[in-house]
Amino acid sequence: MQIKILGSGCANCKRLEQITRKVVDALGIEAEFEKVTDYQKIVEYEILSTPGLVINEKVAASGRIPSETEIQAWVEEAYKAN
Amino acid sequence: MGNFLNSAANLFYGGLGNLAAYLAAHVLLCLLPAFYIAGAMTALIPKETITRYLGRNTPKFISYPAAAAAGFLLAVCSCTVIPLFAGIYKKGAGLGPAITFLFVAPAVNILALTYTGTVIGMDLALARLILSLAFGIGIGIIMAIIFNKEDAEHDRATDAMFAQQRSMRRPALVFLLILVALLIVGTFQIDLLKNVYLEFNLPIRGTEQFQNFLHALVPFDAARGEEGVSVQGAVLIGLLVLIGFSSWKGLEKIHEGFNAWTWISTSLVGITLAFASLNLQPAAEFLGVQLIGKFFGVLLSLIVLGWMLKKALTEDEMRDFLWETWRFIKQIFPLLIVGVFLVGIIRGLIQPEWIETLAGQNTLFGNFVGVIFGVFMYFPTLVEVPIAQMFLSLGMHRGPLLAYLISDPELSLQSILITATIIGKLKAWVYVGWVALFSTAAGLLYGAWVDGTALLTIMLYLASMLVVIVLVFFIVNRFKPRNQKISEKARP
Repeated sequence: MQIKILGSGCANCKRLEQITRKVVDALGIEAEFEKVTDYQKIVEYEILSTPGLVINEKVAASGRIPSETEIQAWVEEAYKAN
Repeated sequence: MGNFLNSAANLFYGGLGNLAAYLAAHVLLCLLPAFYIAGAMTALIPKETITRYLGRNTPKFISYPAAAAAGFLLAVCSCTVIPLFAGIYKKGAGLGPAITFLFVAPAVNILALTYTGTVIGMDLALARLILSLAFGIGIGIIMAIIFNKEDAEHDRATDAMFAQQRSMRRPALVFLLILVALLIVGTFQIDLLKNVYLEFNLPIRGTEQFQNFLHALVPFDAARGEEGVSVQGAVLIGLLVLIGFSSWKGLEKIHEGFNAWTWISTSLVGITLAFASLNLQPAAEFLGVQLIGKFFGVLLSLIVLGWMLKKALTEDEMRDFLWETWRFIKQIFPLLIVGVFLVGIIRGLIQPEWIETLAGQNTLFGNFVGVIFGVFMYFPTLVEVPIAQMFLSLGMHRGPLLAYLISDPELSLQSILITATIIGKLKAWVYVGWVALFSTAAGLLYGAWVDGTALLTIMLYLASMLVVIVLVFFIVNRFKPRNQKISEKARP
């Protein structure tokens, strides 16, 4: 599973990464994390504001930090889809 | 040595006194709701409600004001401004509206506006708002003309980002409006709100002695307009500490779920605001309590808001709202406290003569000094307000003061560098130049109004200035041969 966190160093981006890692670890799923901080690349994902959560190249959420429950559901769904 | 210690102690108390004044009831009553409003704006207003007006095909007379509105409503911190700016610019809306947004967002930050209004004066806050909007649009248009792009990027770009439709949920909108109402009721100085409607005495003894003790602990200079710490102020400071503690426990991990501390923190905020809005009269044998109009207004708003928070907002909305508010408080408030304390100390070190010579009059030089100081000195968000107030009390004219207040949040080395990565070094520094120019002009205009020039004359100056600039550029651009027009080739 490939997880990208879009955003450059703001508090929300860091918190999103922290929570997502926690969810992924708790589920025992193997995931590769990538932090995208270059605005040229961030804009390609068509999100309006950071932070952005991208799972397997699909934008799951943007502009807010979703709850752990939400993130868990997305990660599980992406895992099953493979 | 003794003299040095004396001066040091004086400075220290100056810092403390400044801090106490800034945590006084009326500041809390404005700043606390302002943080919640900022959180609500960030969490509850979908960006798409406004960005859909920024597409390539939207007529300019809609997209520029929409960009300005976006700056006011959508972005409170630079972490939102920069990505939105990048998106607007890259996705085809063009440089113009993007620059307008970039300029307006820090200038009319809701937190800074309310804080400026409370601490320095509503007239300055209003001037900051109006002039920033006008100049924001002006600067956007100018940049668009200077860097008239004919490149392929525009054609390649999709409108997908700007075609999204989304409106704000009605309950969320109402919630936000009531938050604004709370702020207004808490800060407006009109008779209806200041009249005492109910008065009673609480049998608490010793409050007057406590008041005297506080005044001895934190001395203040009434001649300079300082207030010192009152009994009410001390209780409020205590409540603030409790709010900080309970918010840390209840909001920091809110994405894992709500807990009891979440409700405690929110209730404490409500109690604090209600308490801050009544009048206390300390006496030897009892404590006089006056319920003024403001108190009833605040109480009513709080009750409605509390009810809506539980019943009308979705759980996601509530979580996002509380989290964003907490994020702003965490980010801004501690630095604000330190900043205010240091400003109080520095104030003792600066001689009024220096300020009066440099910026005591509404001159071009004075305004320029204000801008230079704002551009090169970087202060955490909101700290520019107590600094401005310090300069004001040291003799700076309100014109240069506005010039400083507009330019300070606009530009820091860091924000310039980041902007440069998005639009290129040339455009970024041209932008800096225009910001400096417009901030100076804003200061001059406002200063002229303060000095008594008629409003109509000011508006005429403003309008003619903008028209002249736009005309000059149209003409210059038109008379250059096509391949020599200042164009996108200037990108690095």
